[in-house]
Amino acid sequence: MNSCQVLSRENLTHLLDSVDTFLFDCDGVIWKGDNLIDGVSETLDFLRSKGKKLVFVTNNSLKSRAQYALKFHFLGISVSPDEIFSSSFAAAMYLKLYNFPPQNKVYVIGGDGILEELRLAGFNAFGGPADANKTVDLKQNIFFEHDKSVGAVVVGIDPNINYYKLQYGTLCIRENPGCLFIATNRDAVGHMTAWQEWPGSISDSIISHSGISAGCMVAAMCGSTQKEPIVVGKPSTFMMDFLLQKFNVSCSKMCMVGDRLDTDILFGQNAGCKTLLVLSGCTTQSALQDPSNNIHPDFYTSKISDMLDLLEA
Amino acid sequence: MLRTESVLTTRAVVTALPQTHKSNNSTLWFQSIPKSYKLCCNPLSLNNSRRKASYSSSNRSRMTSFTTRAAAQPLKNADELIDSVETFIFDCDGVIWKGDKLIEGVPETLDMLRSKGKRLVFVTNNSTKSRKQYGKKFETLGLDVSEEEIFASSFAAAAYLKSIDFPKDKKVYVIGEDGILKELELAGFQYLGGPEDGDKKIELKPGFLMEHDHDVGAVVVGFDRYFNYYKIQYGTLCIRENPGCLFIATNRDAVTHLTDAQEWAGGGSMVGALGGSTQREPLVVGKPSTFMMDYLANKFGIAKSQICMVGDRLDTDILFGQNGGCKTLLVLSGVTSLETLQSPNNSIQPDFYTNKISDFLSLKAAAV
Repeated sequence: MNSCQVLSRENLTHLLDSVDTFLFDCDGVIWKGDNLIDGVSETLDFLRSKGKKLVFVTNNSLKSRAQYALKFHFLGISVSPDEIFSSSFAAAMYLKLYNFPPQNKVYVIGGDGILEELRLAGFNAFGGPADANKTVDLKQNIFFEHDKSVGAVVVGIDPNINYYKLQYGTLCIRENPGCLFIATNRDAVGHMTAWQEWPGSISDSIISHSGISAGCMVAAMCGSTQKEPIVVGKPSTFMMDFLLQKFNVSCSKMCMVGDRLDTDILFGQNAGCKTLLVLSGCTTQSALQDPSNNIHPDFYTSKISDMLDLLEA
Repeated sequence: MLRTESVLTTRAVVTALPQTHKSNNSTLWFQSIPKSYKLCCNPLSLNNSRRKASYSSSNRSRMTSFTTRAAAQPLKNADELIDSVETFIFDCDGVIWKGDKLIEGVPETLDMLRSKGKRLVFVTNNSTKSRKQYGKKFETLGLDVSEEEIFASSFAAAAYLKSIDFPKDKKVYVIGEDGILKELELAGFQYLGGPEDGDKKIELKPGFLMEHDHDVGAVVVGFDRYFNYYKIQYGTLCIRENPGCLFIATNRDAVTHLTDAQEWAGGGSMVGALGGSTQREPLVVGKPSTFMMDYLANKFGIAKSQICMVGDRLDTDILFGQNGGCKTLLVLSGVTSLETLQSPNNSIQPDFYTNKISDFLSLKAAAV
């Protein structure tokens, strides 16, 4: 039974009364590529003026929290790094929470964001973009060396994925006793947006395109290690457990706002909080209402600034 | 319904021989693909929670069907085994050679089998070389083996496309090495990609839009030391957006012994990546899928019961033999130790096991 309601003045008023904290996904909710979605700034100001706590949760591990805060700033929204939870940060927090020994190293298959967060948390992390140009030549009978003190391999989206990194990570996980295999997230595709200008037109048109995401780097590592990773990003409950503890909030007074059913909405449902799907990202209304879809958010609306429009009317 | 998976495989052996898949007016070329080729189950791999339920349960039913097998017997009566079959299929890495070194006693053993009138076939999941290139390797090692006796997974990919009448006006995108390209070329197929796409870079920022060839009708994925984001993205776009585009894997080996000294991340890694981005299961042409077995049986006109598969890996070689319904002999000269074979975690039991293939000679001598 589809219990998903379109957001209305009535149910929104009720939602605002019962919820203290709003969790926002970023891509497709706050921004699209490098462009702010219409009305976001005013909506966030409105929610803050009502005393609501705002938290920004993203599976994109390419940037660190500090780098994301800069992006918000550049888009004219004032957000403190403390309010941002990127999956890069989640990886570092996981290791901290589980007392990862600081003398063990961490090998990173991913971007700078992960390296930065790990180092900020005091861990000895290496790999990442530095291994982008490394190759493996099997013409000579070489021996591929790897650091035996690596105690964890963290895998996230990596535009510079190559065989060297796969082999390095594989040897660490298969041969270093107890080596952890951590994935920032398993999104199969991410949303890549291209803008194309048509001569003579006054507005740009958007061509949406599915770009491969962390899910495939993680799957590559699963293929060679025959192990399943610990997932720290959405929809894993790790991030949620961490947030609940850190902000001392309860699920029932929280609402997750996102554009993806299988990460954002599932994330909120797994935790037991309210969920609001926006159609400003990668999910369309027909995808939501398709009989093959099993994930039903509590509410849906076209974009977050609808909150203002609905209350104004 | 799922208990019939193993039955499905054997039934597929009889009915799904390559030439029965000629396309006719009512079926599109990509629709008549035997279901058994999609069963690339590796019981040793963990269930990915993202995979569809039907794949996981078929995985489980395979495991239950194996627990009823008797434990592997050490090979004592080599003659009895040799006399009971007409054909020996040998894996290469860990059976014939290790890296670039021939394993002790191999030439004499092969000579003996030939002198007894046995047909010899060599099947390898390694797709980096073509059959011709493997022929050269055998020659360099002093073994008398002809190209027609060699079946690498690179050849299997091309043979598969031939068997389903893959249209010559369609293209194949290759995520893999030279061996695959050579075999596709020999079979008369147009291809894109391969090692030269290893130098292509992408930029992950708005404004980037990757174009892809809409005539690509199949993406073939195998072991690839030039693997990168560009290829994954290109392959993904073809599979997701070109109607009917096939996703073919040469093999899914997690690790491979390219050098004698250590393990190397294998084709399973590249295939895993494409599986992750497309959320689709590939058609596997290499071991343990039965495709190569069906092909051989058909080509040489031999019955499966007349074949003995000899290999060093449980989850590819032995499973391949069992899926095909032939006898299986595990050798301990490669990646599998006696301890692994006898471990409670192992559910794959070959009919026999022995140290190396030259035991055929020494056991024979002992029996005299």
